[in-house]
Amino acid sequence: MAEDNKYLEKIKTQQKEWEENVLQKRVKRFNLKESPTKFYSPLSTIKNDFCEKVGFPGQYPYTSGNNPFDFWRAYAGDAAKMGYRPDWGGAGGVGKYGGFGTAEDYRDYLIRMHSMGRTGGPNMAFDLVTQCGYDSDSPFADGEVGRVGVAIDTFRDFATIYEPYTGALEIDKVPSNFTINAPAAIIIAMYAVLADKRGVPLNKLKGTPQNDILKEFIARGTYIFPPKPSLRLFRDTCVFCTQLMPELNINSMGGYHIREAGASRVQDLAFSMANAAAYLQTGIDGGLAVDLFAPKFTFNAFGGSMEIYPEIAFQRAARRIYARMLKERFHAKNPRSMLIRQPITAHIGCSSTTLQRPLNNLTRAVVGGMAAGMSGGMPGAFPPFDEPMGLGHSQEAVQLQLDATRILIYEAKVSDVNDPWAGSYFMESLTDEIEEQTIAEMEKIENMGGAVAAIENGYMQKAIAKSSYQKQRKIDKQEEFVIGVNCYTGQNEINVNVNREVEASYDPELMKSAEKRQKEKLSRLKRERDNTTVHSLLSTLRQHAKDEAVNLMPDICKCVENDVSLQEICDVFREVFGEFQQAKL
Amino acid sequence: MNQKRKIRVLVAKPGLDGHERGAHVVAYGLRDAGFEVIYTGLRQTTEQIVNAAIQEDVDVIGLSILSGAHVSLTRKVLDELKNQKAEDIMVIVGGIVPSEDIRDLKEMGVREVFTAGTPISAISDFIESAIPAD
Repeated sequence: MAEDNKYLEKIKTQQKEWEENVLQKRVKRFNLKESPTKFYSPLSTIKNDFCEKVGFPGQYPYTSGNNPFDFWRAYAGDAAKMGYRPDWGGAGGVGKYGGFGTAEDYRDYLIRMHSMGRTGGPNMAFDLVTQCGYDSDSPFADGEVGRVGVAIDTFRDFATIYEPYTGALEIDKVPSNFTINAPAAIIIAMYAVLADKRGVPLNKLKGTPQNDILKEFIARGTYIFPPKPSLRLFRDTCVFCTQLMPELNINSMGGYHIREAGASRVQDLAFSMANAAAYLQTGIDGGLAVDLFAPKFTFNAFGGSMEIYPEIAFQRAARRIYARMLKERFHAKNPRSMLIRQPITAHIGCSSTTLQRPLNNLTRAVVGGMAAGMSGGMPGAFPPFDEPMGLGHSQEAVQLQLDATRILIYEAKVSDVNDPWAGSYFMESLTDEIEEQTIAEMEKIENMGGAVAAIENGYMQKAIAKSSYQKQRKIDKQEEFVIGVNCYTGQNEINVNVNREVEASYDPELMKSAEKRQKEKLSRLKRERDNTTVHSLLSTLRQHAKDEAVNLMPDICKCVENDVSLQEICDVFREVFGEFQQAKL
Repeated sequence: MNQKRKIRVLVAKPGLDGHERGAHVVAYGLRDAGFEVIYTGLRQTTEQIVNAAIQEDVDVIGLSILSGAHVSLTRKVLDELKNQKAEDIMVIVGGIVPSEDIRDLKEMGVREVFTAGTPISAISDFIESAIPAD
């Protein structure tokens, strides 16, 4: 101990001398007020207990990683020899994220993918009409049917998509992803009813519904009902999945959308953690033991930025905060409950890409890939460089992205060391700093009454809107620089063009006619179905919705099975729960 | 002259698109630049937008659209303005808009289209130069 003190005293003395004689001299020489760079020494991490704060990879508090190495890393060599080509955005056995037109259009697209050997499970994007709980014949649907995803009005649409998924691709063998939030309970019910009709045991179903309604209020915007009844629906899905579909993930929470909406790094982490805490508490209030359901919580990603040092620290802090929250606040015992399970770690965030000189986005994505590899994930160069061009990713951009990731893995060997920054004076103190600021923000939200209260009073929404404006002001005032956007835009700079073949996966003619075809199909179904049963099921649903104690999933399943439409179910909830009204900014 | 009326702008999100960042940034930015700004919030029908614009007596409607539905939604707003004899309200559009669509939107009557990376000052300067001073 005395030895240690002597050592630290020596460093302190040297630091003082360095600051006075080296640093200040240089700052003066260049006429600056302060140094534009920082330097860290053992003094920065003097309080740190390695075992308590960092630990070994795969051990609490998981700062240095969830695992000593991931699945993909174990087989990286084999994958290279086989030429394995993953689907873009298809983590964990699902295919490429997509969906358009009617269920028939999307089904035919999936069949085409299968013929090309792309046999991952359906990874569904839903149109905004479905996401907002309307049917294709609603006035709100005008012009939006089948546009940003597939239109689902009834169970029959859902079942149509799964027609090519039989035999080796049966739903007990391939997983599905559903990017759906407000009506998530209905889509989960459709999945359960499909399995039932096919004789597939529910406990064999795999997949991930997004089912993260809280971030919709503050970032993504496809909410329907107010936060409290929304959480009641979450509770019903959480209990239903835990009891009957234990292989299915319960949700896929996102800080990603929160940061993309303009939140700061600390807001992203604090708001996501506050949301996660609300879901955990909801599951517990629903009568579940935390270790029974928390292992089936997932995250899709947190937000990213070009600032790779703090993004690496962010991932380390996130793992530690979540693990500690699960252990200390929710008394989890199962280590799996304490893990942030997410497909990617650090990345630049799509909002860091620029429309101006877009090939620069490849450079940006490579920087993000380095950060990912150094923060416990695959060094994925994300996204493809043409992301902001709004026409779908070209084959060229996807190829460059895949190759960049491969170069980082195989040539640069970024992933041969776990948490390479562990023990760095700088990175440990930055991780502590982000953790402290996040916990302070989480406490602020907790004192308001938690995530639900901070959404109801508009706190989170206003904070994000203000933060996004501050970021823009910094760019406008050149306090932050974005290459090709607010600097280096002179005549000597040239725009480098690359040929782009956009994969014509979605037939524009089908997109145009989707609304008409979908409406005809729905109106035929509404005439032909047993409408007496429909009315009686909806009336039972209404009664049960009014009783907070009832789990609505069995009723929703019955509705779905009897061709009650998604909007008809949502309309009952609108009537009983009301609709969310956003506070004025 | 110092009693000059502030230029009034309605920032609006038509359709079901929930991407609000651009609308927020533009609303705050124009407010700081000295405009009177009204923000509609999400999920407005084109009728609601035009009615709000008339009721609030705005000079400019700024539509923020990132869902790819910019052509049809903007056309509806312009038609509705015509129906209500309020074509004097200037319409500008912001969002992810491919260049061929920018041309179509301008032919339809949109005065300017602002895509990603636009500084707020470019929008405020444009509005100030396009709206005749009282």
